[in-house]
Amino acid sequence: MRHTLTIAKRELLSLFYSPIGYVVLGLFSFGAAIVFARSFEPGAPATLREPFQFTAYFLIFLAPAISMRLISEENRSGSIELLVTAPVADSAVVLGKWVAALTFFLTLLTPFVVFWIVYLFTAKPMPDWGPFISGMVGLMLVGGFYLAIGTFTSALTNNQTIAFLIGVFIICALTFLMEYLPRQLSLAPKYQKLMFAIDVNRRYADFARGLIDLTHVVYFASGSMLFLFLAGMIVQSRRWR
Amino acid sequence: MIEAAHITKWYGPTLAVDDLSFSIPKGKIVGFLGPNGAGKSTTLRILTGYLPPTAGTATVAGHNVTKAAESARAAVGYMPENNPLYLEMRVEEFLQFRAKLFRLDKKTTSERIDTVCDRCGLSQLRRRVIGHLSKGNRQRVGLAQALLHNPKVLILDEPTAGLDPIQIVEIRKFLEELRNDHAILLSSHILAEIEKVADRIMIIRKGKMIADGTVDDLRGKAKGGSRVTVETQAEPSAVKSKLEKVAGVARVETSSAAGWCRAEITPKGEGDVREKVLAAVTAESWPTRGVGQRQVSLEDYYMQVFREMDEAEHKKEAKAT
Repeated sequence: MRHTLTIAKRELLSLFYSPIGYVVLGLFSFGAAIVFARSFEPGAPATLREPFQFTAYFLIFLAPAISMRLISEENRSGSIELLVTAPVADSAVVLGKWVAALTFFLTLLTPFVVFWIVYLFTAKPMPDWGPFISGMVGLMLVGGFYLAIGTFTSALTNNQTIAFLIGVFIICALTFLMEYLPRQLSLAPKYQKLMFAIDVNRRYADFARGLIDLTHVVYFASGSMLFLFLAGMIVQSRRWR
Repeated sequence: MIEAAHITKWYGPTLAVDDLSFSIPKGKIVGFLGPNGAGKSTTLRILTGYLPPTAGTATVAGHNVTKAAESARAAVGYMPENNPLYLEMRVEEFLQFRAKLFRLDKKTTSERIDTVCDRCGLSQLRRRVIGHLSKGNRQRVGLAQALLHNPKVLILDEPTAGLDPIQIVEIRKFLEELRNDHAILLSSHILAEIEKVADRIMIIRKGKMIADGTVDDLRGKAKGGSRVTVETQAEPSAVKSKLEKVAGVARVETSSAAGWCRAEITPKGEGDVREKVLAAVTAESWPTRGVGQRQVSLEDYYMQVFREMDEAEHKKEAKAT
């Protein structure tokens, strides 16, 4: 556990050292602010549902961009060798990297806190806390899941761009593909149901509406664990390849 | 300190390390030589626990590198090939990070960082970003991190690659200072370097050990051995017949230039014949200038061994076809 935090701290440091960190931070805040400003008008309901939905879509590209360098960069420079020949478990390496990416992602969400404070001061009657909290929890879960996918794709290669593209592809398969395929193809209802169940955006919509459904929580948590486990296997695979 | 017993490594269908066995005690510096792709780095990676061997066992400081992986890794200081570092970090930050990975407590960490920075000449550079340092200074950081947890075993993969001659001499001095408390295994391409610093040399070719011994042992195995030269003012044929009678001399070759006769003497076996040669020429009262001995270098031996093996292989292949 201590190693996980040590690695996470170092990784977070390098995320904030790299220009890409700030580019992502700036672009994301800008996009979220525009969406917020559009929904911020007299008579409109004081919810962050639209910025939340926007973020869920934006995350498809954002998460792989944050996570693409996590392990691929270590593979490319060879520093992975230095890292895993210290008395550190491979799992601590993967977990530490993911924790760092998740922490970075959470700092990206600060604009939402600002938007919320704006509502608290301007909206009458007082806005409802429920959807805000559930929306934030949902973003954390979706973010954690996508970043786990990104950590996994980052472990696959020593090229950041390839890690990014494979990450986007997997996430698109879990969102758009699951949304459109059942509608386009005449599939048996049980397959349709399965695909809808996999669709991340469909599940996130509930969080944005103010609903914390335990099955969604289980879905994201187990999905994250699955991809982190796979990432661990990839890092370990040098031992039996 | 380092024990390898029949380690073998296959990468899929490729045999990278073929049944290597060796043992390195404390206080010894061992040089690991071989051409590119001979399996040097793979062997070092097995010893550091980065890769497991396909067969055989390796132990460092008494810990099996696969079965007691964590305690084995804690006993090894490792500088991988190309010295990968986190370029965005400051020297001190990086060393603190490494100290945490090796579970050093706060007090030990600050003491050790002081010690290794002092020893590696980094005291003035502690606050510098690693990416802004010169290659030589980065190499110092690589050595500093390898020494940080005061390991019993040091494994350095080409520590002098890409350094200038002055920096290479610095590293050599540094390794000599470390010799007493550690077992050091280092790989290199630079034969002249290894020759100066290593107590013992192992040469591998296609994953197999083809030579293992002290520098003098290996030099001695080189054909031709050392040669003695003497320059005198006399008839070459007279010089030749005189010197061939000296005890311990196997062969004499003469050549003359500008009135001087230069004789190259191949001694029998290992004995030093310089004194006897000098006595023989002075007995004849020939004017003499300079008696010298040319040592066979490790490079001579290395080249010879590889040439012989390549030739043997070609012959074998030719026979087969």
